[in-house]
Amino acid sequence: MTVKVGDKIPDGELAYVPYDEKEELAACTRPQPFKVHEQLKGKKAVIFAIPGAFTPTCTETHLPGFVKNYDALKAKGVDQVICVAVNDGFVMNAFGKVTGTKDKIIMAGDGGAVFTHALGLPLDLTALGLGTRSKRYALIVDDLVIKYLGVEEGGDVKASSAEEVLAQL
Amino acid sequence: MTIKVGDIIPDGTLQYVPYDPSESLEACPRPLPYKIHEKLKGKKAIIFAIPGPFTPTCSEDHVPGFIKAADSLHAKGVSDIICLSVVDGFVMNAFGKVTGSKDKVIMAGDGSAIFANALGLTQDLTKGGMGVRSKRFAIVVDDLKVTYVGVEEARGVTVSGADAVLAKL
Repeated sequence: MTVKVGDKIPDGELAYVPYDEKEELAACTRPQPFKVHEQLKGKKAVIFAIPGAFTPTCTETHLPGFVKNYDALKAKGVDQVICVAVNDGFVMNAFGKVTGTKDKIIMAGDGGAVFTHALGLPLDLTALGLGTRSKRYALIVDDLVIKYLGVEEGGDVKASSAEEVLAQL
Repeated sequence: MTIKVGDIIPDGTLQYVPYDPSESLEACPRPLPYKIHEKLKGKKAIIFAIPGPFTPTCSEDHVPGFIKAADSLHAKGVSDIICLSVVDGFVMNAFGKVTGSKDKVIMAGDGSAIFANALGLTQDLTKGGMGVRSKRFAIVVDDLKVTYVGVEEARGVTVSGADAVLAKL
């Protein structure tokens, strides 16, 4: 069962490392829990998901789009922008440092794909040696209610792009 | 059934990105297959496994130990040193660049845990948000025959470390 506009977003626990500008590239800080309902109650947020950290489309197109449009998203009332992938929190933190997300995007890992399954948006990439991953999507939540959901069907970044999310806000 | 000394190592396909000194940190080249039997027939090699790249023990202890000992290991007849983890080849490539493994250690991903399962050396880290991972171990193979297996039972790097392997060669 896949979530849709009007649904309350399922609760879940992701793993993330809060941004620390002094943290070195090679440092491996232990991630902390990011509890979806606790963190997003009463707020407007964007959650976008990528199939994999350090993979081409994710790194070259999807993620940079959100970094570039961060200020525009904030101007439209978005409090938090969260990037989710089925990777652990350590990998997501390293990915954030390599791509320079800084304090703009919360890089959150759904390492056991639990939250991804709760949304009904897993993607089986076992044949490619990647195991279960998340589909590429973007959603807007307002006080935990889903206002927009754009799931990519092909290899493009359209319905899940920062530009589309901005147009929907 | 767990691998032991005297066994022929199971075949398997890992994913890796061959070392390229001009590759930038953010570049995400597509990994290539690393076929165990094809690559290691007739050679002496070490395969050591880490539960996860970018995690503390792996990055601060285990991997650096093998990078430092690479020349000594080559002097004892080792041709390939492979670092394996149950993550995809993209993440392993990024990890190699961050830790400076260069051409000393081949960073290989066993993204669907198929090879780790074939060795009988998996551990369930789902509670830690990491899914199924590999145990921490080191194996020495000589013309595909296993001559040493060191599996860590607790935290830390002892029987699976470069020093233990050097002492056995």
